[in-house]
Amino acid sequence: MTIVRKTVPYLIAIIASFAAAGIFIALTGANVFQAYETILITSFRTPNGFVQTLLKFIPLTLQALAFTIPLTAGKFNMGGEGQMIVGAIAASAVGIVGADLPAIVLLPLVILAGVVAGALWGFIPAYLLYKFNINEILTSMLLNFVSFQIIDLVATGVWRDPVAGHPTTVQIGAGGFLPMLIKNPPLNAGLILALLVAAGVYIYTSRTAGGYELIATGANPRAASVFGINVKRMFVFSIVLAGGIAGLSGVIEVAGVQHRLIVGLQHNFLVLGVIIALIAKGNNLAVPFVAFFIAILEVGASAMQRTMNVPVEMVFIVEALVLLFVLLSDVVRRR
Amino acid sequence: MEKEAILELRNIRKVFDKTVALDSVSFSLYPGEIHGLLGGNGAGKTTLMNILYGLYRKDEGEINFHGKKLNIQGPRDAIDNKIGMVHQHFLQIGNYTVLENIVLGTNVSHPGSMDLSAEAEKLADLGKRFFLPVEPNAVVDTLPVGTRQKVEILKALYRGVEVLILDEPTTNLTPQEVDDLFDSLRVIVNEGRSIVFITHKLREVLHVCDRITVLREGRNITSLTRAEASEDIFIRAMVGDQMEIEGSVYFSHAKMANVAANESATPALEMKNVGLKTKEGISRLTDLNFQIKQGEIFGVAGVAGNGQRELAECVTGVVLPSEGSILMHGKDVTALPVNELLKQGVAYIPEDRLHDGFLPKANVAQNLILGYHRQKPYYEHGLIKWNTVYDKVRGYISEYNIKTNGPEDPGGNLSGGNIQRVMIARAFSMDANLLVAHNPTRGLDIPSMDFVYNKMLDHKKSGSSTLLISEDLDELLLISDRIAVLYRGQILGILDRKDFDKYAIGRLMSGIRAEETADLRAAS
Repeated sequence: MTIVRKTVPYLIAIIASFAAAGIFIALTGANVFQAYETILITSFRTPNGFVQTLLKFIPLTLQALAFTIPLTAGKFNMGGEGQMIVGAIAASAVGIVGADLPAIVLLPLVILAGVVAGALWGFIPAYLLYKFNINEILTSMLLNFVSFQIIDLVATGVWRDPVAGHPTTVQIGAGGFLPMLIKNPPLNAGLILALLVAAGVYIYTSRTAGGYELIATGANPRAASVFGINVKRMFVFSIVLAGGIAGLSGVIEVAGVQHRLIVGLQHNFLVLGVIIALIAKGNNLAVPFVAFFIAILEVGASAMQRTMNVPVEMVFIVEALVLLFVLLSDVVRRR
Repeated sequence: MEKEAILELRNIRKVFDKTVALDSVSFSLYPGEIHGLLGGNGAGKTTLMNILYGLYRKDEGEINFHGKKLNIQGPRDAIDNKIGMVHQHFLQIGNYTVLENIVLGTNVSHPGSMDLSAEAEKLADLGKRFFLPVEPNAVVDTLPVGTRQKVEILKALYRGVEVLILDEPTTNLTPQEVDDLFDSLRVIVNEGRSIVFITHKLREVLHVCDRITVLREGRNITSLTRAEASEDIFIRAMVGDQMEIEGSVYFSHAKMANVAANESATPALEMKNVGLKTKEGISRLTDLNFQIKQGEIFGVAGVAGNGQRELAECVTGVVLPSEGSILMHGKDVTALPVNELLKQGVAYIPEDRLHDGFLPKANVAQNLILGYHRQKPYYEHGLIKWNTVYDKVRGYISEYNIKTNGPEDPGGNLSGGNIQRVMIARAFSMDANLLVAHNPTRGLDIPSMDFVYNKMLDHKKSGSSTLLISEDLDELLLISDRIAVLYRGQILGILDRKDFDKYAIGRLMSGIRAEETADLRAAS
């Protein structure tokens, strides 16, 4: 009953946003119904489409969790993108330097390096918040720009792949590749990692005392501290954990998908992660489901651009409108 | 002598969301009377008067003033019709002077130069006539609460009110100040004005009011003149039929069943030269020395803002005292953090429940385990045992009469009184051996207050101790074994139960030490 009551506003929001975005698609002169058919069906029509969707789903879920975890404690991590890039850089560095190591050694090292690097990148704004009370939104966001420069440096510097036309490093050692779940179309084990992380985050926040402290901190930091919770430490912990998870998404892009570091691997993941987190209203359990839905839209949108010449940005309008309508439904229900 | 009522409220109805705050309430006011509006918390007294003053719109009913129908859209209309209201929380600009606050919003004689000498004269005259002396050029922030209230009353008189509404005016006044206030009120009505006196304190209405109307749960219960009134009628009217008055602590005339504190055992709490300074070096607490015995209820009286909050936070470990040491059962706990103290049996009911004690975005169950979430039976191996928590919480909801849809109801759905019940249920849930309770009954209706007092007395009987910090002197007199008076962060005196005297405590509350009173008495 409560599940029905909670999903109905979402369905209405989705339908309403499709209807509204349809107007814009019609203005471009395209067939609205055909466009929507492409967007919604592509993911399920071919095995390749479905795997593409899952490959989008992995970073989107992790990026969204990197936003919801600090949000649970009442903090905003706007640095998921930078944490992902730094994680990817560290994973590549280990994968290239240790290229000759066997998989049993190299793969764990690659994953660990990426997660730790992401966590450290998250620790910088967290520490500035802890020590000097500097707004974490600003610092985490600005660190994204720093990471853009670092990835440029790495991909055009010592490890540059001279034959590639795009700033890219050489391949990492084969021992650092994530194992494949399916060979063709290629689906890597990052999916399992992402699902495990999502499940872990859910269990952590809903079952453990630490997760309870995170929720209490977000609900009222003053009351939480009056009753013995070290809220500043919770702030730091939540952002560092988020950084680690974002770093993991970078690892999966490198070790699972590209097997090398490519400039621009972050796509729009930060913005999409925030949109997913907000549509899910910060609920960690809802995040994977919303992320899957957005992944369908993303994959469908590229197909729509290929086959119908409707710009891929159109799907941004849909995503933004879904968020807008979901937020609106809250306001309406309160009346 | 049937006088004509100057003000009549007929069948006023007001609904907030789904709660009926006022259900067809009528109220009439005669010229020259002090009319007490009596009732527990949530009875609708303030709501009714806020409607008259234009802060709320009524849903139904009508207001007649001087026999004419009055349409009040906002406070401006009320003020234009010579109706004034003094709120519980004063609406004053802190860094303005008394005079500036009083003339604010009125037409002054010299708006260009802001030469306020004519206004100052008028104010001085009002002050003299009504025994409300204030220094017109004092900055309001520097004044004690009692004086700020005089400013508020003068503000209304300055605007020439005929009807003056006072909302719980005696909160935060010392007994002496209460007497002075009552004298002033008498003079004010003797000149033909009328006063509505909102209160939940029965003894005050019987003392000062000419007529008394009792509200309960948004309904008229009774309206009587003082001559017709007896205390028993009002008690029954205030609490309704469901409450057992015989076993009540709140209405007990007899001295509380005296369970002797354990004199010989190590004190539950010992404060040794405790002091607290702010970062800027301002002293909040100075040289506090006292002991709380096992099984003792140790009351702390004082006008709000004299260090009560700081005292509570030092004892509970929320802030670290800058000097001195705190011992519990003989062990030094000065530097222990809150979570350690909670584990060692400290419970805390903070004064500011919304900011310091409650998680509006979390559910009722999450609120009830705050601070105890790493203790048995809620916790095991890093996990919270939610099944156990929910079972316990359902028990608390019924025992403490918390009105909610269940353990998973969001905290934000709870009303103020119910939030307070959550605070109390939580504090008593762990069999603490030292309860620090700061204004624990604020916002509760009378049966709930009584419930809390009984809980505290049970707590005492089991040998546990309580540090009861309260702004309600009656509450302290009712159940404390000893009362310490806090004034500007210092303890000016500690009285034993046999020496309890409202006026002696009142003198200490206004900063006059015991030896000085003795001197005064000797001199007079």
